[in-house]
Amino acid sequence: MKKLMTAVAAASLTLSAVAHDIVPGEPQQQPILLQGGTLYTVTDGVKQDTDLLMVDGKISAIGKDLEIPAGAQVVDVTGKHLYPGVIAMDTTLGLKEIEAVRATEDSDETGAITPEVSGHVAYNPDSEVIPTIRYNGISHAQIVPQGELITGRSSVLQLDGWTYEDAAESLDIGVHVNWPRVGVSNSWWESRSPEEQRKANAEARKNLERAFIEAKAYYDAKQAGELNGTDLRWEAMLGLFDGSSTLYVHADDERQIREAMDLTKEFGFDWVLMGARDAWRMADQLAAADVRVVFGAPYGLPTRHDEAFDQAFSTPAALAEAGVDFAISYPGYWDVRNLPFAAGNAVAYGLDKDAALRAITLAPAEFMGVADSVGSLEVGKQGTVVVSAGDLMDPIGQKVELLFIEGRLVDLNNRHLQLYNKYQQKP
Amino acid sequence: MISSNRLSKLAVAMCAALPALVSASQTTTVQGLHDNSSSYVALQNATIVTEPGQTIENATLVIRNGKIERINENNRAPEGARVIDLSGHTVYPGFIDAYSNYGVPKPEKTDRGPWFSTRPEYNNKREGGNAANDAIHAQSKWVDRAASDSKSADDYIQQGFTAVQSARLDGIFQGQAVTLSLADKIANDVVYEAQARHFGSFDKGSSQQQYPNSLMGSIALIRQTLSDANWYEQAYGKESYKGPVEYNAALAELVPVEQEGMVFAVTDDKSLLRAHSVFSEFDVPVTYVGSNYEYARLDAIKATNSTLILPLNFPAAPEVSGVNDHLDVELADLRHWERAPGNAAALSAANVDFSFTLHQLKKADEFWPNLRKAVQHGLSKERALAALTTIPARIAGVSDKAGKIAPGYMADLVVAEGDLFTKGTIKSVWLQGEEKELAPLRKADFSGTIAATIANQGVTLELKGDETIAGELVVGDSRSKLRASRRDESSVSFVVDAELAGTAGTWRMQLEQTAENTYAGVAVGPDGRELNFTGSSEAASAATESANTDASAKVEYVSRLTFPNVAYGLDGLPERQNLHIKNATVWTAEDEQGVLEQTDILIRDGEFYRIGENLRTPSGYTVIDATGMHVTPGIIDEHSHIAIDRGVNEASEAITAEVRIGDVVNPDDIHVYRSLAGGTTMAQLLHGSANPIGGQAQVIKLRWGATADQMKFDAAPPSIKFALGENVKQSRYPSWLSSRYPQTRMGVETLMRDGFTAALDYRERMEAYKKLSRSERAKTAPPRPDYRLQTLLEILDRERFVHAHSYVQSEILMLLRLAEDFNFTLTTFTHILEGYKVASEMAKHGAGGSSFADWWAYKFEVYDAIPQNACLMSEKGVLTSINSDSNDLQRRLNTEAAKSVTYCGMSEHEALQMVTLNPAKQLKVDQYVGSIAEGKHADFVIWNNHPLSSYARVEQTWINARNYFNRERDEVLRAELQEEKQALMQKVLADPSASKGAENGYKREQPSWHCDTEHDTWLQTFTAHSHGGH
Repeated sequence: MKKLMTAVAAASLTLSAVAHDIVPGEPQQQPILLQGGTLYTVTDGVKQDTDLLMVDGKISAIGKDLEIPAGAQVVDVTGKHLYPGVIAMDTTLGLKEIEAVRATEDSDETGAITPEVSGHVAYNPDSEVIPTIRYNGISHAQIVPQGELITGRSSVLQLDGWTYEDAAESLDIGVHVNWPRVGVSNSWWESRSPEEQRKANAEARKNLERAFIEAKAYYDAKQAGELNGTDLRWEAMLGLFDGSSTLYVHADDERQIREAMDLTKEFGFDWVLMGARDAWRMADQLAAADVRVVFGAPYGLPTRHDEAFDQAFSTPAALAEAGVDFAISYPGYWDVRNLPFAAGNAVAYGLDKDAALRAITLAPAEFMGVADSVGSLEVGKQGTVVVSAGDLMDPIGQKVELLFIEGRLVDLNNRHLQLYNKYQQKP
Repeated sequence: MISSNRLSKLAVAMCAALPALVSASQTTTVQGLHDNSSSYVALQNATIVTEPGQTIENATLVIRNGKIERINENNRAPEGARVIDLSGHTVYPGFIDAYSNYGVPKPEKTDRGPWFSTRPEYNNKREGGNAANDAIHAQSKWVDRAASDSKSADDYIQQGFTAVQSARLDGIFQGQAVTLSLADKIANDVVYEAQARHFGSFDKGSSQQQYPNSLMGSIALIRQTLSDANWYEQAYGKESYKGPVEYNAALAELVPVEQEGMVFAVTDDKSLLRAHSVFSEFDVPVTYVGSNYEYARLDAIKATNSTLILPLNFPAAPEVSGVNDHLDVELADLRHWERAPGNAAALSAANVDFSFTLHQLKKADEFWPNLRKAVQHGLSKERALAALTTIPARIAGVSDKAGKIAPGYMADLVVAEGDLFTKGTIKSVWLQGEEKELAPLRKADFSGTIAATIANQGVTLELKGDETIAGELVVGDSRSKLRASRRDESSVSFVVDAELAGTAGTWRMQLEQTAENTYAGVAVGPDGRELNFTGSSEAASAATESANTDASAKVEYVSRLTFPNVAYGLDGLPERQNLHIKNATVWTAEDEQGVLEQTDILIRDGEFYRIGENLRTPSGYTVIDATGMHVTPGIIDEHSHIAIDRGVNEASEAITAEVRIGDVVNPDDIHVYRSLAGGTTMAQLLHGSANPIGGQAQVIKLRWGATADQMKFDAAPPSIKFALGENVKQSRYPSWLSSRYPQTRMGVETLMRDGFTAALDYRERMEAYKKLSRSERAKTAPPRPDYRLQTLLEILDRERFVHAHSYVQSEILMLLRLAEDFNFTLTTFTHILEGYKVASEMAKHGAGGSSFADWWAYKFEVYDAIPQNACLMSEKGVLTSINSDSNDLQRRLNTEAAKSVTYCGMSEHEALQMVTLNPAKQLKVDQYVGSIAEGKHADFVIWNNHPLSSYARVEQTWINARNYFNRERDEVLRAELQEEKQALMQKVLADPSASKGAENGYKREQPSWHCDTEHDTWLQTFTAHSHGGH
């Protein structure tokens, strides 16, 4: 084991005594050569016994027996598994600390239509949750405002920053919409009649359409110089009309998805479908329409009573089979760390292992416009690399030993390890 | 056809005359003139159905003073009696509805508003010796409040009912019903049975009191109340340890309930069985107001030996006509739509007695169409009649005076034309010897082609219709439409433009039927000339008769009937097999054997018989080639809330040790099947965590298809849920709702201490009473048996074991020390996310810990939860398991256990033990299950891969050597259910009347229960519940 590994080990020991003292990694000072690992490149297959060189925060070479540059730190990763950092879409990391304590929540703005709010603005980089997420190999996350209808704009952050600016990978990448409910429910807490439910559904749908029409009118008026003043809501949606911003549509039901396909086509939006529980019912149509899908229920219970017990588990395989471009997400905050395992679960139900890995690395990067820098192990991309002793997607394999984000070594210590270490010492 | 068309003018006249003088009881002074109208009536030429299966043709029924005097089979009418010719008509006994709220006042408004708007009421107002719980109205005798109500009576009478058993349908014990005639007389004259059955239901109704707010709470309250009634019988008038025994009118009235019996309303088949089991404990005979779901558990229902009262509110079909409607419709609902009308026939075939009720029908006139539907579904007419007469008479306690046509019985009769059970009509209803006419006995028939001669000119009238007559007059080649048509019982009049007798213009005409097929009329010309004429029609064909018989064509079902009767249900319990599993990797979960490669297992008589290499296959054994597969013991979940109906929390009082999850097990829950598909074979169903001492738990095996009772694992010793921390101190309640003690962790300790102390005091009183002499007992009341305190005593006696919901170290330590003070061992701390902080203290005490693998941060008390918790507890010697508390996680406890391998390097063998052998030990059932060892139950799972891996999938799940889940069979079921669903949807689409019927006629979806799901199942209010709350 080389110097670096020792340093890491020593650091975590000393750090463990002091809570909160988990310091963001220093910018990469010298070349780092990871020697002899198994590389899951995502874009170029699995490479056994291969070296990976990072220089100035970027991957500068991948190959067998790379030459050791002058002044490089060399880490022997023989027998280890190397992955690009996992990218978690659809999270509220940094926006929630303790769900049941309202003062610690910054995820839901009031009002049905709030496209003007941005997730990164309230992001707390010192959240105790974040280091526990990194610990499982997740390097980046999409921070998404929650709410009713148009909830706000999301940003992609790397998970080891001093501030949100320091953590920014790409800010305000798109606007999020929760598609209005469709269908009727007969659950006993639904007191409205089917007729009333249908009416309410239609009304919510109308509200959404109206918002897009307003936003478009604002855009057109602005282009023509005909505005009376500035409206922050519609300003936030301008990018949707010139293609510089993406619409993230959260929709699970087949009917919602179809409506979303129609509406986005009508407005010509660049869009991504999030959630997508029913995507398996219409996989061919989604593939034909080139809809990008972020499947958000990898551990989901069946949506409907009569669906197969493993419907959600096997949906990624069905999407892959139909040729849908898809990612897998694990919406939430503290539980987002299970994302790699959830992808592994999809493998048990028919998904190809490489496709599963792609669904939590490159696909999210592409869907959020950051694939130039992250999402795969490729020369020229960020030196964002996970080193695990075993299979990252399997709980009996995963053991993340090193995590680099942009070539910076990330402290894997966290609240859980600290408490673990502390109470191991209790007599 | 009718032989005479002369109307009974007398009958009409009598009807009109009667209301003029109101009849009076013997004690009422007469105002004005005395009414001494003759009540002597003979119904002649009638077909008399004296009781189901007994018919006398062409006889005379003699009535006097409101009662049946005799039946003259020789059809002779006595001298002096008013004779009514009922030829062509059938007389039935008047119908009886044994479940009604006719004639009694309605409860006051029951709305409570949203849960956060009203302060919780823990006690009720005490008045007049009422019960301590506001849902108990057993002291009410509804005869005291009964009054005739002609408007409401009309709904019943129109359908042929003449008497009802009635009480206010409000609360759990609703009071004693009264059986009333529906005659429009003063109450004194209509009471048939002043003290009929007690009515009841599980629904607390208008009660504003918190307790009970769950189904299990209602059941517990019934149990305690019936026990109290038994106690009261012995105790009243004596001295208790706190002075004289209280006066309690409600209990006093329940003392004779074992003789008087109850009518108890349930909402589905499962609740009927639940009610039956609690009432059987006290030998209370009960008639159940059913749900028409009984067919789905017919054998179990039959085994209760109960009589039922069936509403006829068959559900409207789910909507399926929209192109997307298949997304919202469930197979179970489609099946029920098809089979609900066949429920009566199914019960009848199983020889279960039942009556019918109008109750729950939105409109009374849906009754007969629905009853005829039941007949189409195979119910015999005789049984249908019994369900309207003799059986409800028995239920309502009036078998000696109503429900039959026999001398001495009340003259409560139904006169009908045609076969009532296919298409006939009720012409009149007799209540206490007085006729209420619904339709004329005779009504002229004008439909057909009538040839007439008017002023020597042959004309034809082509007429259609019954209520409204339309048609044309044909004179030679010219046809004219009739206008302004009007009819009464005997005649029809209209105008027509025609040329008759040489005069063209608008003629007015009237036609009367004089006999079958012959008519007499008058035509008034444009010039005022009146011409009389006669006419005749062709004899009617037999067409109408055959239309009647069509209605009884047998219904064919396209739906399957499975157990449970929902998607993925089974045809019956899987067969037990002797098995030889070959060449598997066997995870024994036993420390000595560990994981065995290439190993065989022999399973005989439901148990593991031999485990070894290359075993020989005994004859008759089924061989499973498990090469490349892994076999583990069935997964056991210490903490589950699946398969629970109507409330996981009795979230009202701080101690509810008397409520039992075992009373509300829901065997129809699809999560049972889904969990089997994840390898889970046993689960402890726990009460929620809303109160410090919650309800009794129930260990089940996941025997999909079985009844609730069959799912229970009786060998498991009793257990109970305790809870500590944020949930029990109501941390998420607004402060103005938080009046319940305790509101702090300090108070939790003292409340529990108080509970146990009270239990010990209670025991002391019990023992002291046992020692009393005979004479001392004569004046001393026995201590009141208290299910709550008895349950606490079981804990102290180490007969019932505590599973305590807990998070932070202070409360864990508190409960350890409290248990030590009371000299018992705390069995398992569940959740126990800070168990790692006090693991050595737990180990020393002997407490186990059952944890989440990695949950944290969802509330403040879990901010220090760590995924290394299980390792630390385990290392310190705590018996540790991983539980689900979730219908999702219960399907994948294998990978949850694996997280201790991930986060803290636990060995895989030990990790698997955390979801097999260790929870078995925590439930104290490890002598039966939890590992693959010779002599243990053959509960096991076959996996396609390493069982702790992400990549593992369950192939088969077995319980007691019965195969409850099998991937291949699941694939078949999926395909079959799609086909069946399509066929049922086609049937709905083809049925023009499918949309008619009861709204909300289906079982409603149960929420995904969590520990902290608090809601009042009776007031339909939910407290807020957020994702991740436990």
